[in-house]
Amino acid sequence: MAIEDDKAIRAASDTVVEETELGYQVFNAPDESVLHQTDTDRIPRYDVTQEMLDESGEDEESWLMFSKNYEAHRYTPCETITKDNVGELELEYTMEVGANSSMEGSPVIVPGDPPVMYQTNGPSHVKAIDPREGDVLWSYTFAAPDDAVLCCDDNNRGVAVWRDKIYLTTLDSGVQALNRYTGEEEWYASTADHEEGYSATWAPIVWKGMLFTGSAGGEFGVRGFHCAYNAETGEELWRLENCPEEEYVGESIEQSGGTNWMTATFDPERELLYYNVGNPSPDFNGTVRPGPNKNTCSTLCVDPHDGEIRWAHQESAHDIWDYDSASQRMIIRDLDIDHLDYTGDVVYNGGKTSWTYTMEPETGKLLVRGQPMTQQINMMTMVPHVEEERDYVMLPGLLGGHDWQPPTYCPETGLAYHKTLNTPHEIYWRNEEYKPGEKFWGGIVDVEPDEELVPDEYNGHISAIVAVDPATGKVEWRDWIDSDRYLWGGTMSTASGLLFAGTQNGDVIAYDGETGERLWEYDVSNKAVSGDPVSWYDPGAEKQYIAIQVGGSGFVGRGPRGDQLVVFSLSA
Amino acid sequence: MVQSNVPQPTVEHRQELASTLGVGGPATGERLTVDRLREAVDDDPDEVFTSIGETIRTGLSGRLDAELLGEERSRMVEQLSRTSEVRAAGIPAGETGPAVLYRGLVEPAWRVYHHLAAVGFFEGIEENLPSFTPDHIEGTARELVQARPLSAALAECGFDERERMALMLNVANNDTRLSRWTPTREIPEGVEFDVEYVPPLHRRAMGGALLWIRALDDHLWRKEILITDDILDDAHWDTKAMLGGLYLMATAAHDVAAGEDGSLTDAQLTATLTASTAVMIVNQEELMQDVFWITEEKRKPSEASGREEELPWQ
Repeated sequence: MAIEDDKAIRAASDTVVEETELGYQVFNAPDESVLHQTDTDRIPRYDVTQEMLDESGEDEESWLMFSKNYEAHRYTPCETITKDNVGELELEYTMEVGANSSMEGSPVIVPGDPPVMYQTNGPSHVKAIDPREGDVLWSYTFAAPDDAVLCCDDNNRGVAVWRDKIYLTTLDSGVQALNRYTGEEEWYASTADHEEGYSATWAPIVWKGMLFTGSAGGEFGVRGFHCAYNAETGEELWRLENCPEEEYVGESIEQSGGTNWMTATFDPERELLYYNVGNPSPDFNGTVRPGPNKNTCSTLCVDPHDGEIRWAHQESAHDIWDYDSASQRMIIRDLDIDHLDYTGDVVYNGGKTSWTYTMEPETGKLLVRGQPMTQQINMMTMVPHVEEERDYVMLPGLLGGHDWQPPTYCPETGLAYHKTLNTPHEIYWRNEEYKPGEKFWGGIVDVEPDEELVPDEYNGHISAIVAVDPATGKVEWRDWIDSDRYLWGGTMSTASGLLFAGTQNGDVIAYDGETGERLWEYDVSNKAVSGDPVSWYDPGAEKQYIAIQVGGSGFVGRGPRGDQLVVFSLSA
Repeated sequence: MVQSNVPQPTVEHRQELASTLGVGGPATGERLTVDRLREAVDDDPDEVFTSIGETIRTGLSGRLDAELLGEERSRMVEQLSRTSEVRAAGIPAGETGPAVLYRGLVEPAWRVYHHLAAVGFFEGIEENLPSFTPDHIEGTARELVQARPLSAALAECGFDERERMALMLNVANNDTRLSRWTPTREIPEGVEFDVEYVPPLHRRAMGGALLWIRALDDHLWRKEILITDDILDDAHWDTKAMLGGLYLMATAAHDVAAGEDGSLTDAQLTATLTASTAVMIVNQEELMQDVFWITEEKRKPSEASGREEELPWQ
């Protein structure tokens, strides 16, 4: 069936995303959510159990959550594709998903005969796809209100799956549960009022019937939170405001920022949640929010049963550069840190600061702060005031370093792989009018500073894919990637020691994860690859597949829009 | 011997201060001291400062608890005497979390802060104090130089002559920096936040100083692998300076609460409120930069990965 005959895809295609004075807004979205069913009988009827989710990291045939397993490794144990045969990897098909929208995210794969792929993109659009054939089985577009404001784009990065349901966050700061066989709505919960600036774009996670989801809107003066819902009924179980009132001066807590706008990571052994916390508000003028602004720009460790904070590790105290901590945390088991005589689990992440952080999982004590993954020039310097008629260009820029791009960890190589930006931004500070629901950036950022302002020591490379040893913090290899666009999307590693990543230049690359040597490259598009690679083995087809979404995303350095789902395969 | 990174005023700094006060700069090799400045500065009280101080006293009359403020001031002096001991302890001990070191130093100051917030003290002074203009800073510096009770009080708290000069320089030589901290009433309607969510300037300064000091235990413990002795020395001085600023704020509040038994003139009260706020602002920003923003150059080198300069950037 042609995608133009699918009324849910058409509704998504007709939705226009525009940058306005307020931020990004969606226009011409459907007044009511639209479901289009094509061949729902093809979806095998069985529950995705907790046991399946617990074992998802070891399962070759599935990709059951945003980062494959609760520990967020984005690593497949499938070894069909190897360093020796990766050159034979072929394009299975490409599919237009039918949206002029953000193409970030990770499809989810439920194993079966056939497997079912749940693929999302902006604006709050999801499809069930038979990934063997590239057939859409049902599609759904959420009715996003046009008064929802978004800092950066109309992203949707994926779904959570549990039993007979999938869960989609929505641009109006909601969670929409859908029947995964039919696409029909099961329940909807609003996590916060989008008219106050809240929104939602990430994939939630589910553990033992509890769904965990966060908050976005840090550029709109909100107060960030994380919350848990009963995945069966949509009843709210608890809500945690990320920034404690006693750590703020007076009423400044009311608009503290401190959202968490990426998927949480979960440790099933300790039963603890770990997640990133974003920037304080306002972004650049710290004088109205004195103090370190706990727990902004941090890793937060939370008890999933009651939402109590166990610890926080802050990367940028009293941040004035938008160095919110954005990427998903990882849990790495039984890591040997020889120089500390430490063997045990760690929590690990890369920051917008460009440093990596390796932390003790029960206390959050910093074990290793890694070498900078990119250049650091004029870093952590007071933002000059506009009236001083001086300004500076800083590296990392306000997007990092390491922004939201989901990293991968490969146990075989012992390395973590990060997409990073090495983009100089000019920054200075001013007062700016604030209205509820509108941006109130107290600073001015020029993402294309005049050439004469860029420090001489800048190496001119806009981005890089970087391999880091979490035990030492050493940058083991780095592949600079040059472009006039920014490097978005995530990475994926395999049991055969391969690393897969898309680039902003429209390439998909397979690296030797140990050395950084490029073993295979495929030019999929002239559009940026902003999605994250996922992989599964289909015993029915006897193939290992790799899927990735192609098309620009973001509010800066995005390049032209595209709307392709690209699937590669190799026969066993 | 506990080290403390008290800023060493440069010749340029001293010249700038002398110029601000309208007195001749120090001769070559001569040390500029508060006592020398006092001899050189015109000792007529500033009428504007007197008027502001009087209005503040009247507005806050009967609201403040003199007994509480007096007791907590004494406790603040005790805590100030412990700063060297806290520095000597280095990184807070603890297996699962930090022992109490720096948090202990600010317990009495927190009680003062909560009392002042509860009675509307900060709103009362912000209503009357001007913003940090060069003129206001100059007047404040003049009054501070003349205010023997303040100099004596700081000396009792353990600030030696060099440290008192450093505090003075923080006030007198930072008008540009201080001007970034806009009084809430001067934030144009609709700017930044709904202004009702921006606390009064002097509350931001005092609350911020307290929060920064309170955060030190956890910060130093959690990031122990990055912390050098130099960072700890900076933490010592920046904390001590903020405690001095907090003490001056408590002193001003206590003087208002004491009514006719107060020892400060109205002009000195105005100067004390401004100076304490300035010291708290400057030194919380210094602490932030010295101790919390630990760049690659500043960190304790890693045993495992070496330094940034070893990285091949090209």
